[in-house]
Amino acid sequence: MEQSLSIFFDQTVNGLVIGNIYGLIAVGLAVIFGVANLINFAHGSVYMVGAYVGWYSIMQLGLPLPVAFVVVAVICGILGILIERVGLRPLHGSARIAPLLATIGISFILDQLVQILFTPDPQRFESPIPAIRIPIGTTSIGLLDVLIAAVAITIATLLYVFLRYSKLGWALRATSQDREAAQQMGVDVNQVNRIAFALAAILGGIAGLLVGMYFQTVYPTMSAQAVLKGFAANLLGGLGSIPGALLGGLLLGLVESYGVALFSTSYRSLFAFIIVILMLLLRPNGLFNPKRQLPPEPLTGTFIPNNKRIHIPVWATVLGGVVALSLPFFFPNPYVMQVLTNAWLIGMVALSVTLVTGTAGQISLGQAGFLAIGAYTASLLTLRLQLPFELALLCAALFTAALGTLIVLPAFRLRSHYVAIATIGISEIINQIILNWRPVTNGALGLTNIPPPSLLGHEIVRPQEVYLFAFALLVGVALLQWKLINSPLGRVWRAVREDEVAAQAYGINLNYYKGLAFAVSAFIAGLSGAFMAHMYTYINYQTFTIPLSILALTMAILGGMGNILGAIVGALVLTILPELFRDLMDFRYLMYGVMLVALIRFRPQGLLGTE
Amino acid sequence: MFKRYALWIALIAVLSTSLVAFAQSDSPTFTGDPIYIGVSGPLTGSLAQYGAQWKKGFDLALAEINGAGGIDGRELIYIFEDSQSDPTQSVIVAQQFVADERIIVELGDFSSTASMAASPIYQRGGLVQFGFTNSHPDFTFAGGEYTWSTSVTQAQASPALADFAVTRLGLENIAVFQLNNDWGLATYDYFTNRVAELGANVVSTQSYLADDTDFRSAITNIRNANPDGIVLISYAPDAALIAQQIREAGLDLPLVGSGSLQTPDFLTLGADAVEGALVIGQFLPSNPRPDVQAFVDAYREAYDEETPDLFAVIAYDAINIIAEAIRLGGPTREGVLEGLKTLQAVPSILYGTVTFDPENRRVLNPEFVDLIVDGGAFIPFDAQASSK
Repeated sequence: MEQSLSIFFDQTVNGLVIGNIYGLIAVGLAVIFGVANLINFAHGSVYMVGAYVGWYSIMQLGLPLPVAFVVVAVICGILGILIERVGLRPLHGSARIAPLLATIGISFILDQLVQILFTPDPQRFESPIPAIRIPIGTTSIGLLDVLIAAVAITIATLLYVFLRYSKLGWALRATSQDREAAQQMGVDVNQVNRIAFALAAILGGIAGLLVGMYFQTVYPTMSAQAVLKGFAANLLGGLGSIPGALLGGLLLGLVESYGVALFSTSYRSLFAFIIVILMLLLRPNGLFNPKRQLPPEPLTGTFIPNNKRIHIPVWATVLGGVVALSLPFFFPNPYVMQVLTNAWLIGMVALSVTLVTGTAGQISLGQAGFLAIGAYTASLLTLRLQLPFELALLCAALFTAALGTLIVLPAFRLRSHYVAIATIGISEIINQIILNWRPVTNGALGLTNIPPPSLLGHEIVRPQEVYLFAFALLVGVALLQWKLINSPLGRVWRAVREDEVAAQAYGINLNYYKGLAFAVSAFIAGLSGAFMAHMYTYINYQTFTIPLSILALTMAILGGMGNILGAIVGALVLTILPELFRDLMDFRYLMYGVMLVALIRFRPQGLLGTE
Repeated sequence: MFKRYALWIALIAVLSTSLVAFAQSDSPTFTGDPIYIGVSGPLTGSLAQYGAQWKKGFDLALAEINGAGGIDGRELIYIFEDSQSDPTQSVIVAQQFVADERIIVELGDFSSTASMAASPIYQRGGLVQFGFTNSHPDFTFAGGEYTWSTSVTQAQASPALADFAVTRLGLENIAVFQLNNDWGLATYDYFTNRVAELGANVVSTQSYLADDTDFRSAITNIRNANPDGIVLISYAPDAALIAQQIREAGLDLPLVGSGSLQTPDFLTLGADAVEGALVIGQFLPSNPRPDVQAFVDAYREAYDEETPDLFAVIAYDAINIIAEAIRLGGPTREGVLEGLKTLQAVPSILYGTVTFDPENRRVLNPEFVDLIVDGGAFIPFDAQASSK
């Protein structure tokens, strides 16, 4: 008893120490949600840049810590203003989703620049804070832990007071609630946005500096995990709430710590995300928000722009299809075949995104989870039960539709940003289960020697045949989707997208129709994942990860939201671009980022426009 | 706005052309066409650091081979295609290489996820896939006859780690940190089996994910299990973090690590926290063998006094083994396969000499060395001397 009490105490301290860090990261994200009202994918990159600027100032230039703080704040502040200027301002008036793609592009550019400048190697970042540790129970906390807590609390308090009581703070909040109305009241909305971005970037940079010092290491990909935990802490505390972000961070740290104590470290993320999903089910406003009702989201109805789309005549589409179909007969270069096969398979994922996100208005960043379910189901069916490939493919897709819909159910009561973050969480949970459920999934070792695709007993391994099979699947699901969108069901989906309240008033059962959209989407993604698994013949928990979900969403936005042909064109463009840039070597993904930003700048409604 | 993009594009175009021009500027005095090796690996993305190490090893080996006249008067060169070690890209690269008739052998990819997705393509294309970092136990069977590896398997390395910890260090109750990926899991399985055979116990296992950075709670678990030593089945950056947090927690137990820790990163990132850490290694820069010293000196001269790590060494070896296979079997795809089957005792920095086991196309009887971190460097560890 005595001992378990002491363990409990130690793990509580451990949880608070790491929760402290989550809270710091979450506060920066809260500003972006609450004020700039945007999922800013570049935030993680700014965090990483802040860590590198801090590391460079202290380790290379030998500046004292307070000066390093100022340098980080100034550089990251400028970076924030630049991001607003390049990624947000030119896209004013276009879809709310356009800046999202711009921020993805900017994050590619920043990550690659840092990697080119400072190499991809992790760098040692020695903390200039004396390594004094204060013993508590059998564990201890360091001076740096105290500093981090102090910084997080100070920043949160200052922000809270600033937003609540200062004139500029009012202007910030007004702009986030209704940009046009704020402008009418004489608020310089551009100025306000600039300040919001600078503020968020400064917070992100300082968090990066402190976390880099805490773990004594900086590396170019350090932001991914941090941002994920920051999201989770934000959801726990209520999206956009600053004190909530801090408390959410601490809570997340505690949950993880107790989880590790009871089970194992490799379950810690699983725990964190299950708690987040439970929260969404029980208290969608976050633990610390008293209201039951979700706050009104200004995005509703404005998320998808009503732009005129480019009309592609039927004959042109058919001609394109015929060219794609005849390509393997006239130009069977295996490299070209494989690139295009990938484009068709990822194109299916883009179709699945454009359906839930474009047509039904639910931003999904969790498609990789559906791919994984489809891939593992099909592989297990062919490996363990010796089912023929065709049957396994179909069963896997149907199973993905059923299971996928079931597990995104908790996200149905949410809107826009919440849905996006919830779907990321769900796809992480799926990955964690795959990793830890060893008897079925073979854990981290993955599934090997999956049989290649086959049709009526004939193995499909020649690049031309794989290409044709993948293309046939793509055309099949595209036609299915086209049929659905142009049916009464498609109209209901668009009604849900445009205005949930109005749709409900007309007697539409929201959950049922969102469920249908996710079921079809998961079916398509599951089909693609199942085929990929048999094409690769080896899969593990790293085959389908969050970057793949982001890529699919990028393709859907680039092609034009809800636009079937657009999703396919987006997939083609984004699969071929990195291949064209192969000769650029290290600069390859830098160029890719530049192209993304440029494309969305000149076609904010997507290449083919919104449907 | 447009001007800014135009500027960017111009800048990048100029930089890249100058890079290409630079790469092609050395004037060869070779007869006949070059012999091409295809390399699939990470040059960008989260694993880019490993691709960068590979290149250093490749370039050094090729400079030596080509400096001595190449192979039968033909220059040996490689084409490195970036896959980010991502399966969607490694299969594209595989098709590209298989279709490119100039390429007679392929090296890589880095991760098993990317490598094994490409293996069937190489197997069907009749192009040898030589994966020199692939320790996944099934790697050489994901393709078949054309899939070879110089990486030690866990079946070889993990019992050696257990022997070191139990027999030579005398640990009886062991706590384990285990990276939960294919490598970590397989290592752990073989390790615990051997530990049990030797009559010792694993009292606590803390498996963790590659991107975990906080280990305080796991360390508390370990403290409560009362072990007499901690084994790290980890990669260098996470092992450095774990070591730091173990020392911060005031836990003064011996740290024993797998061969993956034998990199300069482990020393620089871990600094004071990894002093005294014990590693079952494969390669020692201070090894007095003349070929090792010649290699280390050449490497340090070529790369700014940097000490080569395991990845650079194994990449350097890979090129030399492939060159020997080409010499034996001839500069064709089938020739490389024949050469690999027939080669005997090829000199290797890592292994001394390399001969392949025809059963699993892996290196026969690799040797290991006991190392200790002392004064920020790996030095040989002598259990008897240190107990005195």
